[in-house]
Amino acid sequence: MTSSTLIFVILFLALFSYWYGMHRSIKVAGGVTKVKQLVSLPRQFGLLTALWCGIPALIVLLLWTVFEATVIESLLVAKLPQNIQEMTPSQLGLYLNDIKIMAQQNLGEVTETSEQIKHFAALEFQQLNLNAAWLKSAIIFLVCLSCVMFIVSRFRLDYRARAATEKITLKVLMACSGIAVLTTLGIVLSVLFESINFFSEVSPVEFLFGTEWSPQTALRADQVASSGAFGAVPLFVGTLLITFIAMLMAVPIGLMTAIYLSQYASQRLRTVAKPMLEILAGIPTVVYGFFAALTVAPFVRDVGESLGLNVASESALAAGIVMGVMIIPFVSSLSDDAINAVPKTLKEGSLGMGATMSETIRHVLLPAALPGIVGAILLAVSRAIGETMIVVMAAGMAANLTVNPLESVTTVTVQIVTLLTGDQEFDSAKTLAAFALGLMLFVTTLALNVVALKVVRKYREQYD
Amino acid sequence: MSDLSFTENLTSSDITIEGTVGKVVAEDAKMSMRNVNVFYADKQAIKNVSLDLARNQVTALIGPSGCGKSTFLRCLNRMNDTIPICRVEGELLLEEQDIYAKNLDPVLLRARVGMVFQKPNPFPKSIYDNVAYGPKIHGLATNKAELDEIVISSLQKAGLFNEVKDRLDSPGTGLSGGQQQRLCIARTIAVSPEVILMDEPASALDPIATAVIEELIDELKEKYTIAIVTHSMQQAARVSQTTAYFHMGQLVEMGKTEQIFTNPVHTLTENYITGRFG
Amino acid sequence: MNRTTTEKVVKSLKQRHRKEKLFKAAGFASVCFGFLLVLTLISDIVIKATPAFHQHWLKLEIDYQQEWLGVDSLDYEKLESADYRKVLRRSILAMMPEVSGRQDKRSLYKLVSNNAEFTVRDALLKSPEFIGKKKNVWVMLDDDVDSYLKENTEFSQTGIRISEKQAGWIEQWYNNGLIDKQWNTEFLTSGDSREPELAGVRGALTGTMWTMLVTLILSFPLGVAAALYLEEFAPSNRFTDFIEVNINNLAAVPSIVFGLLGLAVIINLFGMPRSTPLVGGVVLTLMTLPTIIIASRASIKAVPPSIREAALGLGASKMQVAFGHVLPLAMPGIITGTIIGMAQALGETAPLLMIGMVAFIVDVPMGVTDASTVMPVQIYLWADSPERAFLAKTSAAILVLLTFLMMMNTLAATLRRKFEKRF
Repeated sequence: MTSSTLIFVILFLALFSYWYGMHRSIKVAGGVTKVKQLVSLPRQFGLLTALWCGIPALIVLLLWTVFEATVIESLLVAKLPQNIQEMTPSQLGLYLNDIKIMAQQNLGEVTETSEQIKHFAALEFQQLNLNAAWLKSAIIFLVCLSCVMFIVSRFRLDYRARAATEKITLKVLMACSGIAVLTTLGIVLSVLFESINFFSEVSPVEFLFGTEWSPQTALRADQVASSGAFGAVPLFVGTLLITFIAMLMAVPIGLMTAIYLSQYASQRLRTVAKPMLEILAGIPTVVYGFFAALTVAPFVRDVGESLGLNVASESALAAGIVMGVMIIPFVSSLSDDAINAVPKTLKEGSLGMGATMSETIRHVLLPAALPGIVGAILLAVSRAIGETMIVVMAAGMAANLTVNPLESVTTVTVQIVTLLTGDQEFDSAKTLAAFALGLMLFVTTLALNVVALKVVRKYREQYD
Repeated sequence: MSDLSFTENLTSSDITIEGTVGKVVAEDAKMSMRNVNVFYADKQAIKNVSLDLARNQVTALIGPSGCGKSTFLRCLNRMNDTIPICRVEGELLLEEQDIYAKNLDPVLLRARVGMVFQKPNPFPKSIYDNVAYGPKIHGLATNKAELDEIVISSLQKAGLFNEVKDRLDSPGTGLSGGQQQRLCIARTIAVSPEVILMDEPASALDPIATAVIEELIDELKEKYTIAIVTHSMQQAARVSQTTAYFHMGQLVEMGKTEQIFTNPVHTLTENYITGRFG
Repeated sequence: MNRTTTEKVVKSLKQRHRKEKLFKAAGFASVCFGFLLVLTLISDIVIKATPAFHQHWLKLEIDYQQEWLGVDSLDYEKLESADYRKVLRRSILAMMPEVSGRQDKRSLYKLVSNNAEFTVRDALLKSPEFIGKKKNVWVMLDDDVDSYLKENTEFSQTGIRISEKQAGWIEQWYNNGLIDKQWNTEFLTSGDSREPELAGVRGALTGTMWTMLVTLILSFPLGVAAALYLEEFAPSNRFTDFIEVNINNLAAVPSIVFGLLGLAVIINLFGMPRSTPLVGGVVLTLMTLPTIIIASRASIKAVPPSIREAALGLGASKMQVAFGHVLPLAMPGIITGTIIGMAQALGETAPLLMIGMVAFIVDVPMGVTDASTVMPVQIYLWADSPERAFLAKTSAAILVLLTFLMMMNTLAATLRRKFEKRF
C-alpha cells in the first residue's frame, strides 16, 4: 500500500477504535444504564482509544517514509560487488540512479555482461521495494492493534480518560509548536553541512575575499574558465548595489507616503490609498520580475541611450528600481506603525507652540519615531537582500565587480538559483557553492532581523 | 446621549441655566470671547459662552468632567483646528483681533497664545533643545548667544534652572514629572507668548510638585495673562483671581474667585463647590 | 518685548509656510506615485496580455484523398495513424497553386500550427464519411502569423519571424476571408507547450491547486495547534521564548533559503520525489507557518479572558475551554490569517525553483506525486522564452494569477471587516 492509502486506512481504523473504545467502557461499567459509574464519559474513552490508535501509527509511518529510501539504498549497495561499492560517492550515486531507472521499466532479458550486474541489482531493488511496502503495511496494522489493545486493557471504572486524552492533546500541540524550531534547525544544519563540504574544497578566505567568480568548472581541461573561481565579492557588491538603489527609491517614498497618509490625508484619501498599498504589497515577486525585465529595463536603457549613456540591458538600476517599488508598501506600513506609536501629546505640544505641521513632523515626530523607522529600514534591507525573482529575471548572470548602476551585476540569490537549477550532480563544488551563498544570506538576514526587532521592541517599551 | 439628557434632567429639573450669572466682562481684557458655540460634528460641546480673560490675571475654568472647559480652552489658540470634525462659531478676540479670521495665521496665534498640557510632554530631545525649540522654529534668536540667553532666562522663570543647569544636554524625558511639567512651561515661555493656556497642568503630579507649579503660576501672572483649566477647586481657589464655572457646555457662573467659593449665586455652582457632584 | 517677538515670528512666517507647502506636496506626490505605479503595472500587463485572448484560425479545404492518407480500409485504427501531414500540405498547396520550389513550400507549410494535422485528423475521425471527399476545416495559425496579424506591424520586426513573401500570402488569405479571429479558450484548457499558440495554463493551474491543497492541509492544523499551545498552554519559560524567537525570525528568512532546505533535506535526505506538488507543498508550509501562527495568536489573544473565566468557572477543563470556546471565537481571525498566508504561498516562486518545479511539463498532473509546475513558475518560464507570442501568454498568465490573489485578499478583507471588533 502507498503511504497516502495508509493514511486513510489509519484514519479509518481510528474511527473504528473510537466506537470500540466507547463500547468497551460501557461494558466496563456494566451496561448503558450504569454508565454514570464511570469517572469519564464513554466518548472520552472512545476519543482516547482513537488517539492511541492513530498517533503512534502516524509517527511510525512518517519515520518509515523518511528513512525508507536511505535504508533500501544501503541494503542494495551491500549486495553489489566489491568493486562497485568502492566507487566514489558521486559515481556510486550515478550508478544507483541507473539502477532505479532500470527498475522502473519492464525488465527483459539482458545479454551484455556489464549490464547484467545492473539488471540483477534492478530486480533486487524492485524486490526490496515490494518487501518494504508489505512490511510497512504489516507494521502499521500491528502498531494500531497493539496500542488499542493496550489502552483498552487499562479501562476501569475510575480511569480518568478525559485527563489522559488531554495530556496527549497537549503533547501534540506542543510538538506542533516545536516545528518552528525544527525548521530553523533544518535550515541551519542543511546549509551549514553543505557549506562545510564546500569549504573543504574552497578556502573560506578565497570565498569571502576573492574577487573573481566563475563557478563553471570545465568539462575538458582546455576549455576557457576551467579554473572554477569562487570569489564571492562581486556577488556581495552586486547585491549591496541593487539593495542600495532599492532603498534609495523605497525609503523616501515609503516614508513620505506614511507621513502624508497619517498626518495630512483626509479620511477618504486614506481609505483609497491603503488598498493601493496593499495591492503593491500583494503582487507576487515574479510579476515584479516580469515588469522589471520587460518594461522597466528597456525603458531605462532607452532613456540612458537618449542621454548618450551606455546602459546594459540588464542594468542594476532597473532591477533596483523595481525592487524599490516592491518594498515601498513594506517601508510605508512599518513607518506608519512607528509614527502612530508616538504619543499624540508630543504632536500637540509642538503644534501648541506654533510650529507648523511639517516642523512638528521633522523636528518632533520623526526624531521620536526614529528607532522604529530604523528598524523598519533594516527589515526592508533584509528583505531586499533576500529577494530572488526580481533579480533572477532582471539582473545579469555575469559577476562584474562594479558599483556603476548602469552596468549589469549579479547577486547572491541569482547565483544560488543559477547554480541549483539545471542538471548536475549534487556534490560538485559548483552546487555546494550555492549552499555557502545560502549560508551567507541566512546569517546576514538573520542578523538584520534580530537587530531590527530589538530596536523596534526597545522603542515600543519607551512609549508603553 | 440618552444618559446625558438623563443627568441633565436630574440636576436641572428644578435648576435651569438661563444665561450666565455674574460678571463676565473684564475692565482690561486681554482676550474676550462672545457667544462661542463649538460643535463636534452634530454634537454641541459649547453652548453660547461669553467671557473675558483679564490682563495679567489668572482665570480658572472649573466644572465637572465633560463640561467643555478643556474644549473651550483649546479654542483660544485654535488647537481644535487639528480635529477635522470640530467647528467653532462666535467672536473670539485677542487684543481686539478676531483669532478665527481667515487672514489670521494660526502659527502666529499659537506663538502669542501658548499652551501647557495635562500630561507633561517634553520632546525626546535634550533639556536645552526642548526650551530652544520654539525660539528656533520661530527665528527669535539670531545667534547662539541670544539663544542661550533665552533658554537660561526661560528656565529661570520656570524655576527649573538651578535644578538642571549642570545637565542641560541630558534628555528632557529623564526628569521627574514635576520637573518635566516645569520644562514644558519653560518651553512655552521661551517664545514670549502674551497668553498662557494651561490644561490641568498639575493633574498628573504629586502634591509637592503641584505646590511648586502653583507657586510658579502665581509668579508668572506678573508678565502673562493665564487661563487654567482645573478639576481641583482648591487649586482654583489658590491660584486664580477670577473663576468661571462650566456645566454641560454652558458657562453657569463667573466672578471673583473669593466670591464664587464663598458665596456662589447659582445653585449648580453651589452644588458643585459643596461637593454634591463633580 | 512681546512686540518684537510678534514681528520676528511674522518675518519668518512666509518662508516657513513655503517649506510647509513643499513638504506637504512631497508627501502628496509620494502617494500619487504609488497610485501611478499600480496603474502602470496593471495597465502594462493588461495591454501586453490582450493579444493572448484571441487566436487566428485559417479555413482550409482539406481533400481527404485515400491515396494521400495511405489507407485502404475505413478501419478506425488505420484512420487514426494515417498520413494527415501529407493531406494537410497537399491541401494547402492546392489552395496556393502559384507557390513552387522547396524553400517556398516549406515556408508556406510553416504558416499553420504544428497541431494543424491533428485538427485535420480529428475532423475526419469525427465524420469518416468525408474520406475521399473535400471538407472545410479550421486550423490554428502559427504563433508568428498570429502575432503578425495582431500587431499589424512591419514584417521584419524583432521576435516575429515572418518573411515578405509569407506576409503576402497571409494578406491574400486575409483578403479572401479565410482567416478568422476567435476567443482563445485553449489558453485555459491546455497544458504547456513549446509552441506558443498551443501553450495553456491548465497544467500549471492544476499543479498550483495540488500544491496549495498540500500546503493548506499541512499548515492550517499545524499553525492553529502551535498558536493554541503558545497562547493558551505554554508556560513562560526559556523554551517558549526560544520558540517565539524562532517563529519571528522564520517569518523574515528569505524564501529561497526554504528552497535550499527543501532541496537538501526533503529531497536529498528523505528522498521524496523532485518537482512534485507534495514537496512544493511541504516547503511552502514551512514558509507560511510563521504567518499563520502569528495571525492565529493575535486572534486568540483578542478573545476576552472573561469568556475563558466563565467557562472555567462552570467546571470545564483548560483543554475544553481552548477547543470549545476560544478556538471557535478566534476562528474568523485564524481563517483570515490562513488566507493571507495561502495568498503568499500562491505567489511564491523562488523556493519552488530550488526543488525542481521548473521542469517543462506538458501533462496535467493527476496527483500530488506527479511532476508538475505552478503558476508563478510557469510565468517565470514563459517570461524567459524568446517567442513573441509568449509575451502575451505570460501577461495573460499573470492576470490569471492576480485574479486568484485578488479574490483571496478580498475574501480575507471581507472576513476581517465582518468580524472586526466583536468584543
